[in-house]
Amino acid sequence: MMQFLTKLDGLLTHIKQVENETIDLTREAQLRFVQFIEKNNLHADDATIEAMQYQDIVSQQLSASIEAIESVQAYLQYFSKAFSEDDAIAMQSIQKMDDKLGNALEKAKAKHAAFSGRLGSNEENGIEFF
Amino acid sequence: MPLVIFVDDSETALASTRMVTDSMPIEVKQYLSATDALREIKSGLTPDLIITDMNMPVMNGFEFLQELRKHASTLRTPVLMLTTETRDELKVQGKALGLTGWIVKPFNPAQLKQAIARVLRLA
Repeated sequence: MMQFLTKLDGLLTHIKQVENETIDLTREAQLRFVQFIEKNNLHADDATIEAMQYQDIVSQQLSASIEAIESVQAYLQYFSKAFSEDDAIAMQSIQKMDDKLGNALEKAKAKHAAFSGRLGSNEENGIEFF
Repeated sequence: MPLVIFVDDSETALASTRMVTDSMPIEVKQYLSATDALREIKSGLTPDLIITDMNMPVMNGFEFLQELRKHASTLRTPVLMLTTETRDELKVQGKALGLTGWIVKPFNPAQLKQAIARVLRLA
């Protein structure tokens, strides 16, 4: 069991690292593209400017996913500790971990929806005045 | 020229807004954090319009708005939220805090220009 948990933790750490690298690489790519446009006084059309904003959304989505992974890792660590100390506590911890993983998933899904903006929506006008 | 300040922790988001506003008759200043913008405002910067992101570390868009409303120079300055957030409850909260409007990312450049022109009453 402990070996399984260690492998799972390692896999989550790997996913987190790949996500962080993706955030950094997409930002760097986007900034170099912007520098090229600005340095050469080029004009980006509306469709290009709209597409340029996707990096920000990708970055927010991946950051939310990293947050979810970190909370799952914290639960796994708690469970691993309980498992190594006492069987009865470990059984209780399984139930608790199940609940917490469910919460982490719900929270992650809510953030995915909140950080998607107008992407995937048919909403033409994204501006509202109060 | 009217002064518009943009606050967003994303450099790429700020670059996108810069490309929209560079052809407008406005002066633009950009900040990567609300605390940086607030420091400038406290030092005498008087923007005619503030456009801010919602989800930022240290100080989020709502906290920034509340701070702005504490200062005489920005008590009535129009503030637009430019964010990926679409939840109605947040819009209601923003409106109650004195927000002027809500713009959802990715913004349509033509619509952002129109929104800025409308708030600043540009011809």
